[in-house]
Amino acid sequence: MGTKDTIYEGLFNYGITRRDFMKFCTTMSATLALSSTSIPKIAEALQQKKKPYAVWLHFQECTGDTESLLRATKPSIAQIVLDIISLEYHETIMAGSGHSAEKALHDVVKNQKGKYFALVEGSIPTKDGGIYCVIAGKTAVEIAKEVCGNALVTINVGSCSCWGGIGSAKPNPTGATGTASVVPGIKYINLPGCPANAENITATIVHYLTFGTLPALDRYNRPLFAYGKRIHDNCERRPHFDAGQFVRKWGDEGHRLGWCLYEMGCKGPMAYQNCPTVKWNDGISYPIQSGHPCFACASNDSWDVFGPIYNRAPHVPGASYQATADKIGAAVVAGTAAAVATHAVIRTFLGYKQKERFSKEKNEADKMK
Amino acid sequence: MPKIVVDPITRIEGHLRIEAIIEGGKIADAWSSGTMWRGIENIVKGRDPREVWLFVSRICGV
Ligand code: SF4
Repeated sequence: MGTKDTIYEGLFNYGITRRDFMKFCTTMSATLALSSTSIPKIAEALQQKKKPYAVWLHFQECTGDTESLLRATKPSIAQIVLDIISLEYHETIMAGSGHSAEKALHDVVKNQKGKYFALVEGSIPTKDGGIYCVIAGKTAVEIAKEVCGNALVTINVGSCSCWGGIGSAKPNPTGATGTASVVPGIKYINLPGCPANAENITATIVHYLTFGTLPALDRYNRPLFAYGKRIHDNCERRPHFDAGQFVRKWGDEGHRLGWCLYEMGCKGPMAYQNCPTVKWNDGISYPIQSGHPCFACASNDSWDVFGPIYNRAPHVPGASYQATADKIGAAVVAGTAAAVATHAVIRTFLGYKQKERFSKEKNEADKMK
Repeated sequence: MPKIVVDPITRIEGHLRIEAIIEGGKIADAWSSGTMWRGIENIVKGRDPREVWLFVSRICGV
């Protein structure tokens, strides 16, 4: 597997210093929740290994995952990711188009069979013969079968390629779904999120390069290092939740003081991702910190099961402090009978809450007349 | 009349195909097609209006 240059030489050629490189290895080790003894292992692997080939496929997507990766600042994660892999095909950033772009993709599939990473952004439409996403005359289904089917491992970047994401929200007009259901039997990892976090994408690749395996996964094929903990448990607003201090209205005093957003619809108690620790935009902030509720973007079917976004989440059985993703998954997320039942309960509850709230708001408005 | 097809057009968000007819070294006619559709306009129908911005902002993430 790999090109001529080692990863370290590649980084060095782009002006990344030894100090930046070691800093990067330390961050990766921390993101992967490994002990500090793994830092030299990561450094050694990246210094010795040849850059692996990778292709990045775009299907039904908004390019948000690409943006998430590219908008980091210097010495950027993007720079490092693009340097630790030999990215042969990426429609948003490659120079060639048309035939020459397609040739680059097919060369990798043919010459590096079973040795390249396939990173996939966007869902795959299956309705009406797959005509809702066609590139160079081939449907996304055909491309996924060919490219993911021959890859070493498929990395689903963002919720859309994991399980359909926004494209599969009701009524799922195009029959959108994730890569693994279109190409069954492939080796894959899911990095959901809307978009996926650049640091988690990089850490997954670094883990593979260092240990030759995917990191430990949960039952949704998400890496535990990134999706093993509940947002609610690492949220800086949590003391306010425990103290019963809730934002009740946008811009009220509690909102200005950074109180808990649960009453405003926060789904942090049911959502699993490392946003509170890794954050976004180079560790600057993340939705809850900036005052907006979490809507569980990294959960399967988040648009329909966890919505409406601004409605308070009901007390779901299993959503206790000690619950794990799998336990809550069994109770909340679609895919099991319990989930369907819970979904119905949530829906009814939310419908009721919404009616109650609207009539209350209407009464208040009437009083003011 | 030679016809040129460029698909995919790269360095853009989304999926674009251009077909052009060339006559005497010049483009005589051309067609562009967006070759991907998710139907977000149908997905937002009937939803709580307060959350629609979260859906439509995902038409393009650039
Ligand atoms: S409900 Fe949301 S804002 Fe409140 S503590 Fe939990 S995650 Fe944080």
